[in-house]
Amino acid sequence: MDADSARLLAAGISMGVGSIGPALGLGMLISKALESIARQPEVSGDIRVNMFIGIGVTEAVALYAFVVALILIFVA
Amino acid sequence: MKRGRLFVILALVLLGVVVLFLLPGGESAEFDVVEEFATHPLIHLPSIGPVDLSVNKTVVYLWITFGVVCVLAFFINRGVKPVPGRFQFAMETLYELARDSIVGSVMKSGRETWFPYIAGVFFFVLISNLVGLVPLPFAEHWSLGFYAATANLYVTLSLALCTFVFTHYAGVRNNGPVAYVRNWAPASAPPVLRQLIWVIHAVSEVFRVVSLSVRLFANMLAGHAILAVFFGMALLFQNYAAAALLQGGSVLIYLFELFVAFIQAFIFAILSGVYIGGALDQEH
Repeated sequence: MDADSARLLAAGISMGVGSIGPALGLGMLISKALESIARQPEVSGDIRVNMFIGIGVTEAVALYAFVVALILIFVA
Repeated sequence: MKRGRLFVILALVLLGVVVLFLLPGGESAEFDVVEEFATHPLIHLPSIGPVDLSVNKTVVYLWITFGVVCVLAFFINRGVKPVPGRFQFAMETLYELARDSIVGSVMKSGRETWFPYIAGVFFFVLISNLVGLVPLPFAEHWSLGFYAATANLYVTLSLALCTFVFTHYAGVRNNGPVAYVRNWAPASAPPVLRQLIWVIHAVSEVFRVVSLSVRLFANMLAGHAILAVFFGMALLFQNYAAAALLQGGSVLIYLFELFVAFIQAFIFAILSGVYIGGALDQEH
């Protein structure tokens, strides 16, 4: 395997493997938030705001993988 | 009767797909996603020392965003009616979102002081993301293209650095410099653990800037890259059926990008509020 193909392979793997954790995390986060909204609809506003904060923080992990993939393809 | 008409429509659609598939495609075209995000200077200007003053795509998009925000603020400020029209209702909804859902829900004190900054960041990022979804003639050779100022790391990093500076300014002004830095670790923790927590917090303060800027940048970049790939794959496939399918898909991606543009502005503003609010009311 030459350096270029190793680089492209690493980019694909980093994006694919790096998405597993955030996807699981987002699923858990949103399912729990929906569950608590269904239990207590009167505080749904608060739960939704906190859910979005959590989404932002969790999703960032996948985006780091995306940035690493971009660096591998275009910069390294 | 109804069933027969449905059958005819279905047959026509199938026939259309087959005809599209059989039509010979056009010329194969080279297509490069990276070119969409390259910032070549549009107007060449001399550079002062290391600072290049040339006007590129990002600068033009920042000007447009600035202009749109100013025009919106001017028009909403000129004629506030007791019974809101459609435009005023939309702006009031956004204002209430910034005031109640963002600042009201994450900050305990200093809401009046910090509302202008957080709402300003919210509107700037939102308008910048939305302007990025309008095709404007600033691509290469002045052709139409998608680009957003927030799909540039320097822009988002500047915004995140503003939040960083304001966070520590707020904390120092509210608690005093010594108490502010000391309160980074809880006073009740045992001595060695306390220093460890302090170091971890100090590192996290730096990485907040990185995560805040990279989140917005990577979201907008990824969205625009997917849009560009969907538009550009029609050129690569040389097949009208694939082109029709991909154009339909690009509409769905576009709608999702509208949602992402809004959510990212919301998250940027609310995390700025969380950071500034955390520096104002420190846990002791």
